[in-house]
Amino acid sequence: MRLLRSVLALVLVAAAPAPKPRIEVTEMTLGNGMRWLLFPRHDAPTVSAGWVAHVGSVNEREGITGISHLFEHMMFKGTHTIGTKDITADLKIIEEQEKVRELMRSELKVMRERLRRGEIDDLLKPENQTARYRELDAQFDDLVAKQRDVIVKDQMDQIYTRNGGEELNAFTTEDLTAYFVRLPSNRLELWAWLESDRLLNPVFREFYSERDVVFEERRMRTESTPLGKFDEAFNALFWEAHPYKWPVVGWPSDIPAITKAQADEYFGLYYAPNNLTGVLVGDFDPAEARGIIERYFARIPRGPKDPPEMVTVEPEQLGEKRFIAEAETSPTVRIWWHAVPFVHKDRTPLDLLSDLLTGRTGRLYKSLVLNRQIANEVEASVDLKKYAGAFEVESVVKEGKDPSAVESALLEEIARVQREPIPAEEMQKVKNQGKGSAFRRLSSPFSIAIQLLYYDGLGDWPYINSYADEVDAVTAADIQRVARTYLTKENRTVGIFLRRDAAAPSPAPPAAPGDGTR
Amino acid sequence: MTAGILLLAAAVQAAPAPAPAIPDSPDTLVFKPLAYTPPRAADHRVVLKNGMVVFIAEDPTLPLVDINITVRTGGYLDPAGKEGLAALTGSLLRNGGTRSLTAEQLDERLDFLAARVATSIGDTSGSASLNCLAENLDDSLRLFLEILKEPRFQEDRLALTKDQALQEMTRRNDDPEDIERREWNVLLYGEGRATNRFTTEASVRSVSREDVAAFHRRYFHPANMIAAVSGAFSRAEMIRKLEAAFAGWPGAKPQVAPVPSEIATAAPGLYRIQKDVPQGRVTIGLPTVKRDSPDIYALEVMNEILGGSGFVSRITRNVRSNEGLAYSAGSALRFGVYYPGAFRALFQSKSRSVPYATQLVLDEIKKMRDQPVTADELDIIKRSLIETFPSNFESKAKTVALFAADEYTRRDPTFWPTYRDRIRAVTAADVQRVAREHLVPEKMVVLVVGDQKEIDIGDGKHEASLAAMAPGGHVVTLPLRDPMTMKLP
Repeated sequence: MRLLRSVLALVLVAAAPAPKPRIEVTEMTLGNGMRWLLFPRHDAPTVSAGWVAHVGSVNEREGITGISHLFEHMMFKGTHTIGTKDITADLKIIEEQEKVRELMRSELKVMRERLRRGEIDDLLKPENQTARYRELDAQFDDLVAKQRDVIVKDQMDQIYTRNGGEELNAFTTEDLTAYFVRLPSNRLELWAWLESDRLLNPVFREFYSERDVVFEERRMRTESTPLGKFDEAFNALFWEAHPYKWPVVGWPSDIPAITKAQADEYFGLYYAPNNLTGVLVGDFDPAEARGIIERYFARIPRGPKDPPEMVTVEPEQLGEKRFIAEAETSPTVRIWWHAVPFVHKDRTPLDLLSDLLTGRTGRLYKSLVLNRQIANEVEASVDLKKYAGAFEVESVVKEGKDPSAVESALLEEIARVQREPIPAEEMQKVKNQGKGSAFRRLSSPFSIAIQLLYYDGLGDWPYINSYADEVDAVTAADIQRVARTYLTKENRTVGIFLRRDAAAPSPAPPAAPGDGTR
Repeated sequence: MTAGILLLAAAVQAAPAPAPAIPDSPDTLVFKPLAYTPPRAADHRVVLKNGMVVFIAEDPTLPLVDINITVRTGGYLDPAGKEGLAALTGSLLRNGGTRSLTAEQLDERLDFLAARVATSIGDTSGSASLNCLAENLDDSLRLFLEILKEPRFQEDRLALTKDQALQEMTRRNDDPEDIERREWNVLLYGEGRATNRFTTEASVRSVSREDVAAFHRRYFHPANMIAAVSGAFSRAEMIRKLEAAFAGWPGAKPQVAPVPSEIATAAPGLYRIQKDVPQGRVTIGLPTVKRDSPDIYALEVMNEILGGSGFVSRITRNVRSNEGLAYSAGSALRFGVYYPGAFRALFQSKSRSVPYATQLVLDEIKKMRDQPVTADELDIIKRSLIETFPSNFESKAKTVALFAADEYTRRDPTFWPTYRDRIRAVTAADVQRVAREHLVPEKMVVLVVGDQKEIDIGDGKHEASLAAMAPGGHVVTLPLRDPMTMKLP
């Protein structure tokens, strides 16, 4: 089986006198469309290995928000071989479970109608369930118990752990879903076996308990932290049309409504090899690794069709938006402006603009914290995603100072960049820092693997190599131009968070039906 | 016999190409043997003329240099009434300028060089680190030494640092995780413990520039420092640079009081703190042993099986994977250097499932005592600890940092060379014995932070009540402390 379309493009490394922050990555593509990035580095007897699916919450729609992330969890639930003692019995139980779930979904329709009528307050509370739902729920629990006799719990984790696997995990963003592990270097074939198996024959068993786990993750990260829900609401205000407006973890109404059938469909479309990139970094022999990759991954059939293109372009914002809220936090001012996608030619000028503003010697700290003494913390950053991006500043207001003074001071510093030329020494400082971070990001093989997954997911992994040259090429005029272009009044959303009075009640959902005080 | 044992027993050469068929099961794959010998501390250890110990390793991979200094000091040395002095000193070293440079000039200079300097003082040690481009080493090292040796402790920067600390204090009760971490420490080790005293508005306000300068003078001396140095340099040349840089330090070798070893654990029981959030945070545990206990290897294996190794461990499997009750559920085990470490099982779950999930965790703890672990569980964990052993030394920077930490805490030098054999020797009987000895349910402290009324409603499916599970039947409701005085109302 030689399905390799063999595209071995070596990144050229110029023999320059000064060392350059570059990695020599070999790129190849299998016949089924799966791309690969290989970077041997022999610091330690380990291989950091992973793959990225070019799908994230940006590819979702209302009603199934959070499915990309839930799906990430499901990829650890086993295959036809891994995670089961009897695949036939296992699949039969899953089928029976789905039948019960279908009936439970009918009951949920009834419960949603009651919610709309104001007869119940929360779909998740057991006392709001219909009697029939509870009965079905008990039936479902019996099927789960029955399934436990045939499944082997978390067997992939067990195999990796037994073989010295570390950092086994995955993450989901708006744009990508990445899976990775670090293994002793002699276990590369084991990795290929397990990963190609879960791409070829996955079984999404224990779907509904994992859906509950994901909801607990939402409760932990979003609902039980001081600013979690406020961050989510601010983000939803910032984006008008773009699917970036919903949270990666999903809306609370949607997560418990996602079905296994939707997950199956999602896998077929987005986890085909033509939508994936594999990454190997570390102690491996490239020729041997290529052989293993071909043997294990070329057997996965290409998807019947490529995933649909994400076509939504955020419309131009017409006026400033504001979000004012009280939360359990120090008073904080946040301003976001719409910027550019990650692959845009203005990405590095915007990056250097944020460097000019942020940090201990950045303009914002000097102005707001040191000189005016109205803030205790301030930072600027860019968040450039695959299809669109934001330029962000945020400041924690000093106790007793006026948040609106902080907002004005932030905007004044932006206006100063737009108005006055940037001194040469200051330009050189941010460029030097860019060079330092270009080297620092290459310090660990594992972190290089994660960056390759991440930047390939954003559409441009060679950014790791081109960054230093891009920084060199930016002029003071470029920075001023992007500040003028993007950091405009119409283009911004301002958030003001004030400390909620400790005695005031929290804005929780009403305690009883009809208690609509908020 | 398990599949895993077969794997290693059959450690023959990997089958060469041409492409063999893909086996039906990963258990039949064979792997080339991978021998690994850990680096030796003695090969990296150098003592400078002034008595300072340096662990050094050349690493030409990137044109960077890393210098990490550990200083024998700590927050436990804060004078009563000036809690926070050590931490403020640590922060202000980097932020307050030097003899020749104002804070603003120093910041500008370091940023222009793209050199990263960080300083801090924690509970039982201080740290100062420099990461710079090799081409800027001389300039960066000179500034780093000025920071360590002749800090300016500029008044306005002290005022700012204090104000930032005071504002952070106002956020102490905002995040339930912060409340849990803080109160757990108090329950475990006692409020008066030297490493556990709270900073308050009054204590931070009382710290003067002279206090900070005196604290620095008292503890910062090369004879009181250990360095870990790695990066793109020649070893001989770097040692010459360090000899020169740290020579001629004024003052004598400081006398540093030892870290106190006594602890005062709260009475076993259930401790509840009200916080209006939809998810309860639960911690169950007790103090364990110091690092010099012979039980640490069996305890480590025990904890990995119980809750320390993610999905392979019992608590995670049961509470998360089987029941879907938590995203994060597991256990952690720490061995103390100066005083006993702690075992801690923890999870977060929606309010109403807190009682049932707590019951599941307590059952797993009990099971660990009542029954021996299975051969398969033991095999997975032992192999994992042995196979991942090289990760302790995965980079030169990590290797010298580890040796420096060992020197600082005076770890038994045979620890690393014998570690894998000690793990290999652990039996199921050992695991059960240490579980019985150290995981005593009646001695445990259970802390629950969350919406207590919702929690007591329960999930409606399982008979589980928190009060009924309280060790010794002892239930205490703890109010939230005033964040600025840390007094209980």
